[in-house]
Amino acid sequence: MEAKILEILEEHCEEALSYDGGSMMEDGIIDSFTVINVVSDLEDEFDIEIDAKYVVAENFRNKEAIIALVQKLLEE
Amino acid sequence: MQLISYAFVILWMFTFALYYLVPKKTQWCVLLGASLLFYVLGLKGIPVGLLLTGVTTYGCGLFLGRKLKQEKDALRRCSGKEEKKAVKAAFQKSRKRVQILYIAFNLGLLLFYKYAVIAAPFAERLTGAHAGFLERVIMPLGISFYTLTAISYVVDAGRENCEVETNPLKLLLFLAYFPSVTQGPFTRFQQMKEQFEREHAFRYDRMLRGIQRFVWGAFKKLVIADRMGIFVDRVYGMEASAVPGSILICATVLYMLQLYADFSGYIDMAAGVSESLDITLPDNFKRPYFAGSVAEFWRRWHISLGNWFKDYVMFSFVMSGIGRKISKACKNKGNGLGRQAAPVIGTMLVWFFTGIWHGRTVSYMLWGLYYGVIMSVSLVLEPNYAVWKEKLSIRDGRVWSLFRMARTWLIVFVADVLIRSTSLAQAGAIYTSFVRRLQIGSLLSREITSYGLSKYDFVLLFAALLLWLAVSVIEEWGFDVRTVIADRPLAVRWICYYGVVLLLLVTGIYGGSYDTAAFMYQSF
Repeated sequence: MEAKILEILEEHCEEALSYDGGSMMEDGIIDSFTVINVVSDLEDEFDIEIDAKYVVAENFRNKEAIIALVQKLLEE
Repeated sequence: MQLISYAFVILWMFTFALYYLVPKKTQWCVLLGASLLFYVLGLKGIPVGLLLTGVTTYGCGLFLGRKLKQEKDALRRCSGKEEKKAVKAAFQKSRKRVQILYIAFNLGLLLFYKYAVIAAPFAERLTGAHAGFLERVIMPLGISFYTLTAISYVVDAGRENCEVETNPLKLLLFLAYFPSVTQGPFTRFQQMKEQFEREHAFRYDRMLRGIQRFVWGAFKKLVIADRMGIFVDRVYGMEASAVPGSILICATVLYMLQLYADFSGYIDMAAGVSESLDITLPDNFKRPYFAGSVAEFWRRWHISLGNWFKDYVMFSFVMSGIGRKISKACKNKGNGLGRQAAPVIGTMLVWFFTGIWHGRTVSYMLWGLYYGVIMSVSLVLEPNYAVWKEKLSIRDGRVWSLFRMARTWLIVFVADVLIRSTSLAQAGAIYTSFVRRLQIGSLLSREITSYGLSKYDFVLLFAALLLWLAVSVIEEWGFDVRTVIADRPLAVRWICYYGVVLLLLVTGIYGGSYDTAAFMYQSF
């Protein structure tokens, strides 16, 4: 699963893979359009629905947070 | 009540003293008292609009909290996945219905107060009766700001992204917190609640930093923005055909900077007051005129508003049923471009609302749509940028960065003519003047000093802008200017601090009794 998420991230925003800061959205690494595209691909890939309530800076602060979000949604 | 006034400074001093004297558990009560006093004195009346929003927000929050609790209880009793899904959907539907009602009511209030005055003649024509009461409607102080702040709380509560507030007074403090109630920045409930409820001990360095930021904000407002305003008002107050295009260009560039100095000056003052009380407000500006694209410009300008629209309009639309349907239907169309259909519609929606949020005229609507179209086009074309750069042999570097910055300035420049002009006809005449009557020599002749600013004012403005630029460059490099100055020897520190205070007192634009011009964003 992790590898697939990283692959999706790499396709839309390579910088996200090496980012080690605290907030990709606030630091301008990942913009809202990229977030939407990443969400769309994650939904297709893992057959999950990512509600707007999960699309917050906290869940997209770095690649680990995105992996944790997908994991949480898969477990639900 | 203006932030730059004796009354405000006295209010701040008393609040500050009381805040650190009372038992720490009750500090938030001092903030509430100060906020209500500030609001009532500023409004000079009963805050009906604020109370209506407060009551409905509180009620809606409680309802959502109760429903969420019931949903959890019901889910615990469910056994199968399908049953859980059905329960979730049912509860979501009931929550959404109330949220929609709440948002419609509060946006209706905002629209009523914002558009009552201009709706009066239409109402008269429609009903034949005199609609004088509409003309007398006074827009409640900060309604454009506290309405969106309240909506963010209700949406976050429904999404379980914040706690539900059970104390109505604490919720009122969140809506009416005095440094930010009139012009923002937009705050989020969870961040503010945690800060309001924390115990705050007095710290001398924090007080000093708060005052420094307040003074710097006042400097930008009084020395830069209000001085530029004299020239801009004079030029834009004349017939466009009577002013050379070069003077109009100069006035528009000054307007761009005036708006920035005025609004960021306010934010610095609000953040300074707040910092002295150990409450951190979110950043609202990150040197927008260094941006290399319009999208980046708007990520650096009025950040809290951009985040609001992104979280509550853009993402809500794209991830809604309609947004998903559009995405699904268009996904594989147009050589991959179809997948951008929902974000493009979302962008246009965001910018349409941004336009009408800012102003009541068609010009603001066009201004919003102008940015919406530019953002959407850049979104669609983005995948080609790298290829075009390669083909044109463009290399990253200083020249390319400067070009991108200049391009951003130009786009903002064109938009700002629209919102500064008093009508579309005037804006059209000004655009025409830029091209047909440029008369570049006017900028270098004595004519430039015949629009309210003397040679001395221009020299002073130039020096103040250089100082502002230096501060901005230091910040852009990642340093905190106040920390940089604090680390210097005493003599350097004093020159910096007292130099700015002296400049502010001697060269600020004050009225007869040291009153000041209103902040520009207050009217939005």
